[in-house]
Amino acid sequence: MNLTETKDFPVNTSSLKEVRTFSRETFEKINLSQDLKDELVLAIAEAAQNIVKHGYKGVEETTDRMEIKISLKNGQLEIGFFDKGKAVVPENVQHRQLDDIKPGGLGTFFIKQIMDAAVFKKDQKGWVNHLILTKKI
Amino acid sequence: MTYKVTEEGNISTVFLNGEIDMDITDKAKEVILPLVESGKEVHLNLKDVSYMDSSGISVLIESHQKALEKNTKVIVKEVSKSVLKVIMMAKLEQILNLE
Repeated sequence: MNLTETKDFPVNTSSLKEVRTFSRETFEKINLSQDLKDELVLAIAEAAQNIVKHGYKGVEETTDRMEIKISLKNGQLEIGFFDKGKAVVPENVQHRQLDDIKPGGLGTFFIKQIMDAAVFKKDQKGWVNHLILTKKI
Repeated sequence: MTYKVTEEGNISTVFLNGEIDMDITDKAKEVILPLVESGKEVHLNLKDVSYMDSSGISVLIESHQKALEKNTKVIVKEVSKSVLKVIMMAKLEQILNLE
């Protein structure tokens, strides 16, 4: 089964619920276990949260939107995130060490645990950042 | 997220309900941390929490650490399957007091 679903969202924390709803509705169309669906929704929500939290750090309010594109082709799931926040330096995107117990720094760890790969692309086409998460399913 | 707090002796139980994400972590902290800071033993009942992300996990860690500072404890109770999975992914099942 091949599928592509795209939706854009306001960049704010209130959108995160809407991001999860979009993700859940999309994964309902694919034959996946509930556990995997839950994990994928978490990974997407964490990536969207990173845009709001880090890409727009210090920005009180914005009219910017972020776009999420979920594609499935030949068993390869690809989830794209487009935003116009601060440019990400991929080398600086790191999660905290798990034995350093403190609040924060887990979102990127969850993404890496769940997905096969997370790569920033240079093909933004009007966006500032384009993150692609992939997983063979 | 909605919540309810019950008191019994020195134990405050916070029943959280719904989905806990970055949008509501400030609210969750406003409810939980003052109880911990007052020195009470705090039970967080997560039976009706259907989703928690890294922001929610941060609230659990912060509450746990604040309790250690105040010589009290936070016990996380009746964790739903989906939330337990996230706690385990963060390898916190041995750190947090789970019941």
